[in-house]
Amino acid sequence: MIDSPSILIDVTRCTGCEKCIDACKEANDLGHDCLRPGQRSVDALSASRFSTILRKPDDTFVRQMCLHCLEPACVSACLVGAMKKTDAGPVIYDEDVCMGCRYCMLACPYGIPRYEWDKPTPLVRKCTFCYDRLKQGQLPACVEACPEKALTFGTRDEMLLEAKKRQRENPGRYRDHVFGEREAGGASVLYLSNISMNFLAWNNTVGDQPLPELTWNSLKKVPPTIAVMGGVMTGIYWIIGRRMKRAVQNGEADGPDSQATDTTPETTEMRDDS
Amino acid sequence: MNSRLNILKSILWAIVGVWAVVSVARFVRGLGATTNLSDGAPWGLWIGFDVMAGVALAAGGFVLAAIVYIFGLERYRPFVRPAILTAFLGYAAVAVGLLYDLGLPWHIWHPLINWQHHSVLFEVAACVMIYLTVLTLEFAPVILEHPIFKHRIFKTVYNFLKKATIPLVIAGIVLSTLHQSSLGSLFLITPGRLHPLWYSPIIYVLFFVSAVGLGLMMVTLESLLSGYFFRHKVDTSRLAGLGGAAAAVLSLYALIRLGDLAWRGVLPQAFSGNWQGNLFLFELGVSAIIPAFLLMAPRIRRSIGGLAAASVLTVLGMIGYRLDTSIVAFLRPEEAAYFPHWMEFAITLGIVAAFGLIFIFFVEHLRVFEHHDDDTATAKRYFPIPVEASSVRDFGQRSWRGPAWYSLVAIGTAAITLVFLPEHIRSGDLHRAESVSGVRTIEGLRLTRASQEGTRFAVPAEDAMAQFAVPGADPVLLMVIDGNRDGNLVLFDHESHRVREGGAGSSEKECGVCHHMNKPFDRNTSCYECHRDMYNPTMIFDHTSHTAAMGGNEGCVRCHRDPDAVKTADNIRPCYDCHADMVADGSTMIQAPPKDGLRWQAPGYRDAMHGSCMACHEKRMAADPEYYSAQFVRCDNCHNADYDTELRHLSPYATLSQAAGGE
Repeated sequence: MIDSPSILIDVTRCTGCEKCIDACKEANDLGHDCLRPGQRSVDALSASRFSTILRKPDDTFVRQMCLHCLEPACVSACLVGAMKKTDAGPVIYDEDVCMGCRYCMLACPYGIPRYEWDKPTPLVRKCTFCYDRLKQGQLPACVEACPEKALTFGTRDEMLLEAKKRQRENPGRYRDHVFGEREAGGASVLYLSNISMNFLAWNNTVGDQPLPELTWNSLKKVPPTIAVMGGVMTGIYWIIGRRMKRAVQNGEADGPDSQATDTTPETTEMRDDS
Repeated sequence: MNSRLNILKSILWAIVGVWAVVSVARFVRGLGATTNLSDGAPWGLWIGFDVMAGVALAAGGFVLAAIVYIFGLERYRPFVRPAILTAFLGYAAVAVGLLYDLGLPWHIWHPLINWQHHSVLFEVAACVMIYLTVLTLEFAPVILEHPIFKHRIFKTVYNFLKKATIPLVIAGIVLSTLHQSSLGSLFLITPGRLHPLWYSPIIYVLFFVSAVGLGLMMVTLESLLSGYFFRHKVDTSRLAGLGGAAAAVLSLYALIRLGDLAWRGVLPQAFSGNWQGNLFLFELGVSAIIPAFLLMAPRIRRSIGGLAAASVLTVLGMIGYRLDTSIVAFLRPEEAAYFPHWMEFAITLGIVAAFGLIFIFFVEHLRVFEHHDDDTATAKRYFPIPVEASSVRDFGQRSWRGPAWYSLVAIGTAAITLVFLPEHIRSGDLHRAESVSGVRTIEGLRLTRASQEGTRFAVPAEDAMAQFAVPGADPVLLMVIDGNRDGNLVLFDHESHRVREGGAGSSEKECGVCHHMNKPFDRNTSCYECHRDMYNPTMIFDHTSHTAAMGGNEGCVRCHRDPDAVKTADNIRPCYDCHADMVADGSTMIQAPPKDGLRWQAPGYRDAMHGSCMACHEKRMAADPEYYSAQFVRCDNCHNADYDTELRHLSPYATLSQAAGGE
């Protein structure tokens, strides 16, 4: 199996024939689509549709699928490690580990993972880059099925070079940008297109920063928080306890009215539980 | 016993009855059947309220423990036990709520063995699990004070736990700090989806500070409520002290929130007048600014009315903050509007009611509240001394009337709920019916292409039709095939198809190529009249009228041929034996194989359309591959109406002349 497998999607070559979708459905045994509430149309991504063709103006067809980010937000979000970035590259899902919290669905900047809402034992479903086929040395089913060569398979470096080459050899055909090269830290699925691909991301915006960094900024503060909070609380307890003990001793010496060391009279009572 | 409490308990038991029934529905039929969650809205009320708000509402436990045990402010000791109990039950309720929300709740223990240090949710889960244990240990002494735990072992445990109080309290504060803030950090990874007025790089600070303020106000509200329901005097002077602290914390929260927005230049959006801006102002006002101002006035924070107003506002406002962050201000695809299903509310309310009853049970049987007018002397004495047996009612001595009445209430509401359960819960058929409407017509232009690959139509705005009258583009009446009115339509040139099938002269023979099976006494039944659902087959067979036509009981064997077999749908004579004349020769109609069990059902509208059109297109293509290109059988040969640019005015509910269909 090759290292960091990648798919280059040439949007200008796609004719919207949906042969890739059929192949995907067959390879993953996905069956019939059925519209459910909250879904725009039956052709939208769903638990039975890992990939779909978005129809854009001017006969532009954009294949929507998991981008297999280099630093996937879904993987960093998963609290049990059901979403995994394999060593080779594809982001896969382990249904035996998943709890079904659906945080991956929230975290994904492209809104890719889908849920089997109508089953009593639901799973998260998404494109696996045909990981099992790759392991057997086969191409992903969609790449194999594409009659227009809109999908090209290779290592990520090869695909980036190929994209640059096509941009060079066909001036004016493509925008000067490969979507997925840097988006959210980079992705394994790259889009070469004549229109902006930002609509694939929420709110039409996705920065270059890997999303896991955002939560790591907060998570790396956990050990210092434990140390500081624990230390400060122990310290305050010790200092106030000592002051109160002294206040009681002073009170015994000077009489009950002396509360010199405390600002509020209520705090002079001795703690009786410890 | 008093009547206020009885009424409250009756209401809570009534909700528990509904909860019990809906719980069964949730676990038997799954999330999709009982919630309005969808791929566009994967988190809903159960996360937003039961978990996000639930954890925040239980913050009083660690706040009061810190005030009394760490800062030594002994006068607030009477609030510690109710606060710890609320926290303990609150976190237990969060755990129960999670069981409902998780898709695979029996995997809830997986974080114990699969540690993922890069996941905020793992940190939250770990902290909540440990903190629930800590709270159990913190509250255990109160339970062990009860006279039934008089064995020596319990005394030993009790004394050990008392000695461990301070370490437990410090652990509780650290754990609470971590997970109260981390619940906010969960949303750091969704910069594209959370509205900028709620998304903040320091959202964890906001969640923590707001939780502290909310904790103080929740303890206040609880004292007021217990004073009302248990009819004991409310100690307003001490509550005023908590109120003063809350005023400071809530002001701090409001300042950080506004300051952060101003620093990042997002603040102007709050005054832009859109719903998010207004919601933000309303939420911040109710949750922090108004209560803080109320509590700053000493006279208001010493009055029961003022305390009640401030605490209710804060509690509702902070619940709102959690709900806004996790649901309302969270970007969804336009179509995935989310409002909780009534069963979601039933589960949420049911969990609250059940834990409310447990709270009342503990209050009635353990020394949670100081019921007397407590002065500092009793407060001092109160903690280490076990309760006398006389001060609490014994478990065995309660009258049967209470339990019997409450059982009756719960069973009654459960029965009513059973009646009102949606049909899809009982039947288990989760497919949503998607009704189909007939075709509309519109005048368009037929654009001739150089190649023979398909036909394109353009539909100019009505008044612009004249200027498009160019050679090669003839105005034609187009059928707009869009059964479910979702805008994904096919423009169909009926006339040219008819001419192609039957020549210019109309013999009506050509109609049968596509049309079949009129309804009785009808000559041109439209497709949608039988194919009534977009995706699912519809039953069109009318058994009653067939029985009548066959001559009553005598006629059964005319269809159910085998007189010995049980008369079911499996042993009937094919419909076409009698109705052969209804299907023309060469019709594209595809008869479902018997094994599909669809013989007396009309397939879904989409399948019917695809079946009819595609069968013919494929046949033509095979017959004349020279003439037709591969394009002829592809989706976009027909699905090429460019909705976004050319046909915007054909929006699903635009008024178009309703064609009679089939014409």
